[in-house]
Amino acid sequence: MHRSLRITFIVIFAIAALGIFAVAIFFPAFRDFAYAPLRELILPPPKPVIVNIYYSTEKSDWFDGVIDDFYKAGNTVDGKPIELEMKKMGSREMYLAVLDGEQPDAISPASSLQIAILQDLSEDKFGESIVKANQGDNCRSLVETPLVLVSWAERAQALWGAEPNSHLWQKLHSALTDPQGWASVNHPEWGYIKFGQTSPLSSNSGFMTILLLTYDFYSKTSGLRAEDILSNQEYQQWFLEFQGTISQFGNSTGTYMRDMVAYGPSTYDFVAVYEATAIEHMENASNRYGDLKVYYPPATVMSDHPLCVLDAEWVTPQKAEAVQVFTDFLLSREAQETALLDHGFRPVDTNIPLDQPGSPFLIYQGNGIQVGIPAEVEIPPGNVLDTLLNFWSRNIQR
Amino acid sequence: MKEHISSFFSLTLIFSFLLTACGAVQNIVGKTVEVSIVYGSEKRAWLEPLVEQYNAEKHQTEDGATILVQASPMGSIESVDAIISGQIQPTVWSPASSIYVPVANAEWRATHAEDLTDSKLNDLVLSPVVIAMWEPMARTLGWPETPIGWSDIAELAISEEGWAEYGYPEWGEFKFGHTHPDFSNSGISSAIAEVYAGVGKQRGLTLDDLQDTALNSFLTDVESSIIHYGRSTGFFADRMFERGPSYLSAAVMYENLVVEQEGKRLSGQSPQLPVVAIYPKEGTFWSNHPYAVLNASWVTDEQRSAALDFEAYLLDTPQQSLAIEYGFRPADPSINLTSPLDAQHGVEIGQPQTVLEVPTAEVTAAIRDLWKQVKRPVDLVVVMDTSGSMMGDKISAARSSLMEFIRLLNDRDQLQVMTFNDDVYHLSDLSPIGEKRESLLNRVSGIVEGGGTSLYDATLEAYQQLETNGNPDHIRAVVVLTDGKDTESQAKLSQVLAEIGGSEEGGNAIKIFTIAFGSDADTDILEQISEVTGGKQYKGDVNTIHEIYADIATFF
Repeated sequence: MHRSLRITFIVIFAIAALGIFAVAIFFPAFRDFAYAPLRELILPPPKPVIVNIYYSTEKSDWFDGVIDDFYKAGNTVDGKPIELEMKKMGSREMYLAVLDGEQPDAISPASSLQIAILQDLSEDKFGESIVKANQGDNCRSLVETPLVLVSWAERAQALWGAEPNSHLWQKLHSALTDPQGWASVNHPEWGYIKFGQTSPLSSNSGFMTILLLTYDFYSKTSGLRAEDILSNQEYQQWFLEFQGTISQFGNSTGTYMRDMVAYGPSTYDFVAVYEATAIEHMENASNRYGDLKVYYPPATVMSDHPLCVLDAEWVTPQKAEAVQVFTDFLLSREAQETALLDHGFRPVDTNIPLDQPGSPFLIYQGNGIQVGIPAEVEIPPGNVLDTLLNFWSRNIQR
Repeated sequence: MKEHISSFFSLTLIFSFLLTACGAVQNIVGKTVEVSIVYGSEKRAWLEPLVEQYNAEKHQTEDGATILVQASPMGSIESVDAIISGQIQPTVWSPASSIYVPVANAEWRATHAEDLTDSKLNDLVLSPVVIAMWEPMARTLGWPETPIGWSDIAELAISEEGWAEYGYPEWGEFKFGHTHPDFSNSGISSAIAEVYAGVGKQRGLTLDDLQDTALNSFLTDVESSIIHYGRSTGFFADRMFERGPSYLSAAVMYENLVVEQEGKRLSGQSPQLPVVAIYPKEGTFWSNHPYAVLNASWVTDEQRSAALDFEAYLLDTPQQSLAIEYGFRPADPSINLTSPLDAQHGVEIGQPQTVLEVPTAEVTAAIRDLWKQVKRPVDLVVVMDTSGSMMGDKISAARSSLMEFIRLLNDRDQLQVMTFNDDVYHLSDLSPIGEKRESLLNRVSGIVEGGGTSLYDATLEAYQQLETNGNPDHIRAVVVLTDGKDTESQAKLSQVLAEIGGSEEGGNAIKIFTIAFGSDADTDILEQISEVTGGKQYKGDVNTIHEIYADIATFF
């Protein structure tokens, strides 16, 4: 190359490089175009986009396992790195915190039930809903897991034979309220029949349980109304009898299941938990006291773990965008497969097969874990859900 | 002048810098945060070495302070009573089980805005409440094929024939034991289980159930077979395993204590018969050792976070796995239940099959009150040294502690007070305390010292008095306090030991509790006197004598 041409070329390159450096100071998105070794020395580090996310405890192990990968991938918004400030809490506690004035940028409760309630209650309190769940990508489900009933295999076999039929809740109600307890199926040594669920006030799985019980009483899967809860004495008696047999309501689904396995069959015969929670403890149970058996209720409800950006003044477009980047990461095939293979969640990406090698859906088939699930019930409006919670709280809470 | 000022400022600056630096260094190097823990004594063998190890590892808080854990064993009920009354202010309370936590919270809330403990506490280790019984006796009742329950034990306790009914008259009466419900978790568990057996329920116990007069007489009958109560389950287990089947046929304790004893027997450290855990067929309770960082004003944020660090350490896999060696079932469900949790060590991990429902706080508190009405009464002779060497603080402390002791006894209990110097004096006959409490207190308050020490004569006379006038259906015991050696007795020590140790009543024999008061007492002789009867020997002084009398009271 001619010497003068070479000099011209170098000068143009130098001017362009300096120009990019100058622009990158004001627009971090251009930072990546700046000459790498020099930019780290010269340019000030870009200010991160800090995002506050409240999330439910059930998925904390999954998040803990993948969050490093998110940072390693160097995700940015407008050239600024994303910094996540994650806070885990109970799902109800989460929406109450928002109503109480706390200002997270996004929330991820265990299910859309809490989003439905938050929409209604925030509209009542602030004049408009703080979550626009149906608009664009404001709310996206991360993983799913249905509510199931877990029992010790030997005991379930004694009570129900091979399978309970579609009247699972009805049969369980009869068993729990039978003063004979296990003696009615020739096992007096097992004492009274012990069912456990978490408190609907502090934990989503308890809330899902009482919703399914209520739907089941009316033999329907949609159209639940506040009058169904408040005006039917027959329902109320049936519901309160069922709930009245529970000695102690736990606060956390994981802890409840853990206790079932730690204490063995003496303490809980049946518990209502998530499928993923049951999967997590399947092996421990077999090693310690015996096999567990999972039953799917006739109609179910999904813990669908929505991650929702709040529609609030403190959520800047950059923060909202950062939440979407994080959501995209969680929905990536790798993160979704980790959720499936390591934690027993159902990926929302239907291209990922549930029964792939190493999947708990294959390993625990013999324990009743199945790929197909029953029909889902309709999630009632927030005010109906709130009525159900209040009814429970007034009559059962202890 | 300017230079002086400048030098002065420079020196001051350097000096202040050094001071600040030293302070900072001291903060980093020397600051400790203390975490005090009161815990149910049953987990002492597992916990104590771990406390030592944790302290040696010098764990630190986020602020760089070194955490120092100090753990003291104490009866589960006794400790929470002491916390609520303000006698002790620990950072952490870790009782033997959650059974009494609701009562503790209810009592705390009477004067505080929030509960004493969080609603969900982590368990440290698990062990079911069992009835420990000598294997040949258990087999006689049909173990292991026939399930045995609280009701069977109650029936055996009530039976006048005792073991003769099963073809073993040589085993004598059925001698049963559980700890004192006012002090120990296994005591309150036993009392609740007896109530369930009495009303034929496994759950849903109500205050109305406790009003039943049939229940009252059932409980009275069952409690009549108790050889004595006690402050801690660990002590009770030691007694049973040291003294053998003639002392106790069965006692309520925890599975881990059976495993521990069988480990000793199998390794040749204990010459006793094998012992097995009976898991009551109606259900039982779990001893789950919850760990509660207290919601109390004296617990600082720093102590709370240090206490949580220690909790995480105890719940970590190595410490949880270690618990199995001490006969506990780890709270961590990912740890398998392996040897010594097996039949060879007298336990069965497939048990218990069911549990009894933990009653509400108000029902549990009411059971504690009911138990006081039905517990086995005691016939007691207290013998106090009033020789000249007791002068001064000693006689004064001995008087006041005896008066406190008299106040602790139930109206139905019978008490006789004797003093001795050159001679033996009877301050009262053996009769129910209810009718004479005030006059006896007056009499005791007037005790004066002087003369020699006829310890053997007084001990023998007290024993004989009780043998003649005491009711064999009651717990019978002599309490002897002395500060010196025998100087005046007609009787010889060998004669005393032969007579008081000659009983064939095993655990129901008259027990002698001796108190060596001050450094001149002959502890060897007092130990022999108490040991031969199944009692206990204490060493005390004017500062500890009140505590000793309080401890003796837990046996009754």
